[in-house]
Amino acid sequence: MSLPAIAEKDFQDTVRSRGMLILVALFSLLVAVFAYVLTPPGEQFATEFLLSRVVGPFLVTTLVPLVGVVVGYNAVSGERESGSLKLLLSLPHSRADVVFGKVAGRGAALSLAVFAGFLLPALVLLALSQLGYIEAFNAGSYLGYTVFAAVLGVVFVAIAVGCSAAARTQRQALIGGIAIFVLFVVLWSFVTGRLLGAASGLIDPLPVSQQQVSVFLQVANPITGVELLSSAFLGDQLLSGETVNRQISAVSMLVFWTIAPPLAGLWKFDTDDL
Amino acid sequence: MTAIELRGVTKEFADVTAVRGLDLTVEEGEVYGFLGPNGAGKSTTIDMVLDLVRPTEGTVRVLGQEATADGVAIRRRTGVLPDGFAVYDRLTGRQHVEFAVRSKEADDDPDALLDRVGLLDDADRKAGGYSKGMRQRLALAMALAGDPELLILDEPSSGLDPAGAKEMREIVRAEADRGATVFFSSHILEQVEAVCDRVGILRAGELVAEDSVEGLREAVGGEETLEIAVGGDGGASDAAVDAVRDLDGVSRVDRDGDALVVSCADGAKTRVIGALEDAGVAVADFHTREASLEDLFLAYTEGDAPSESEEEGGTTEAGETTDATDVDSTNADADTNDDPTDTDAADAEEVSR
Repeated sequence: MSLPAIAEKDFQDTVRSRGMLILVALFSLLVAVFAYVLTPPGEQFATEFLLSRVVGPFLVTTLVPLVGVVVGYNAVSGERESGSLKLLLSLPHSRADVVFGKVAGRGAALSLAVFAGFLLPALVLLALSQLGYIEAFNAGSYLGYTVFAAVLGVVFVAIAVGCSAAARTQRQALIGGIAIFVLFVVLWSFVTGRLLGAASGLIDPLPVSQQQVSVFLQVANPITGVELLSSAFLGDQLLSGETVNRQISAVSMLVFWTIAPPLAGLWKFDTDDL
Repeated sequence: MTAIELRGVTKEFADVTAVRGLDLTVEEGEVYGFLGPNGAGKSTTIDMVLDLVRPTEGTVRVLGQEATADGVAIRRRTGVLPDGFAVYDRLTGRQHVEFAVRSKEADDDPDALLDRVGLLDDADRKAGGYSKGMRQRLALAMALAGDPELLILDEPSSGLDPAGAKEMREIVRAEADRGATVFFSSHILEQVEAVCDRVGILRAGELVAEDSVEGLREAVGGEETLEIAVGGDGGASDAAVDAVRDLDGVSRVDRDGDALVVSCADGAKTRVIGALEDAGVAVADFHTREASLEDLFLAYTEGDAPSESEEEGGTTEAGETTDATDVDSTNADADTNDDPTDTDAADAEEVSR
């Protein structure tokens, strides 16, 4: 089992890239700007409001998937094109170790960036609340929310690494990465709506309503899933309350997206001549 | 047990057949040189041994295991210096070696490995800043991790200067002495001659010759070249040159300033010297050059070579020289010109096993 060795090497390699620094700085800056803009002096500052109304829609649901795709899309194809994959596969690693090691290593690197990027402004907010400039800062909510952001990032890393493993060239991987981003961030409801329309004949005889399938397809998008889970968390209703069924669907779909795309990519990668 | 065994291996890519019906056996403990021009299929063959490429037909067994099924187990016992690889630019040399040691579940000291390939002073630099030769050394250090039973070196000397190439050969020999099998590909014959027990020549995906270097040289019909320094003024007389030219086994005679360059069959040397002395020419000194290894290689790879050789093994008289006492006859001196590989040839004798 050489997956941990690959994951660790890839983590080291990724966190040393200049992109990581830029990422941390970008996250920090954006969170800080939002926090500043949204707390005019004298008004009440609400951590939950900041996260679910501002950081969520703007930062997490677009920027984190984008970063996940950027971190993941060249994981395997980049090494394949440069030739370092030869060095890697000269050592006793299976191709499965390579693909899943990359998911783990890059997922960890991205999580680190998300944490660093979110926590730097959190320290400032915490200090401000201690000094009495803003109302109490809810560190627990903030930290928990950061975990959800990191989870979303890891899911997109996994999808992109799967695509990277299947691609023969960097170019294909890049096109695949863009397609992933556009599909999940922009076109999801359009595409699933079309699918649902086309498949209505198939669904009717099943013991589920169109409505139920449509809801499931919505939370099947990892972005929607994480939004659902994080807002439940902020409302203190994680895996409970009236949305519990949808939350469970969302969790299982997040697991699915973390495992299935790398497996599909591996299936292709494993049969390729390198 | 055989270290590497290919049986009827064919590899077809979309547009080209890279390897055709290849049978190849490398015995345990031997140093095998795998030769061929660029594009002959050497790298494809090595890639199949490493399970980077799957054969279209035939079987590849390495260290008794199936290459396609047991790749990881095979590579745990194998050290590989791949061709056309890249390093991880952002990781240091030491991190690379640590990764290799960890991957092979070995317990080598990374610094000892780096020291062995002469990279210890640069161990903490990022490998992205390494020269081609340093990258080659780094990959060798990674290959040596875990004392592999089999070393596969694909064009190991590329990017190395003569001193580096020599160190590479010393390491290869040390590994062979330890008992490792070494499979070594190159398109430069001198590199292979110096270290290999046996040589296989690949052309257009087929093995066209397999023998010791001496055996191959015999098979091509080793013409020798004599360089004769002539004493006195004005060099050899025309009559003397004609006399030499008329000798049996002499194919050509050229003047090179005051010296003579004579191409002749193996046994004709003494007669050439004798004929010159009979004609009153004072032979001050002479050198023997064996059929250039390059010529030999080209003979096999470009077509006008004998079919796969009948003679077995190297019983050439590599050590045999004329018994003229006052002559300086250097035998294996393949490069009297200012070839940068000069030093290589000089220690060829010392290195060849």
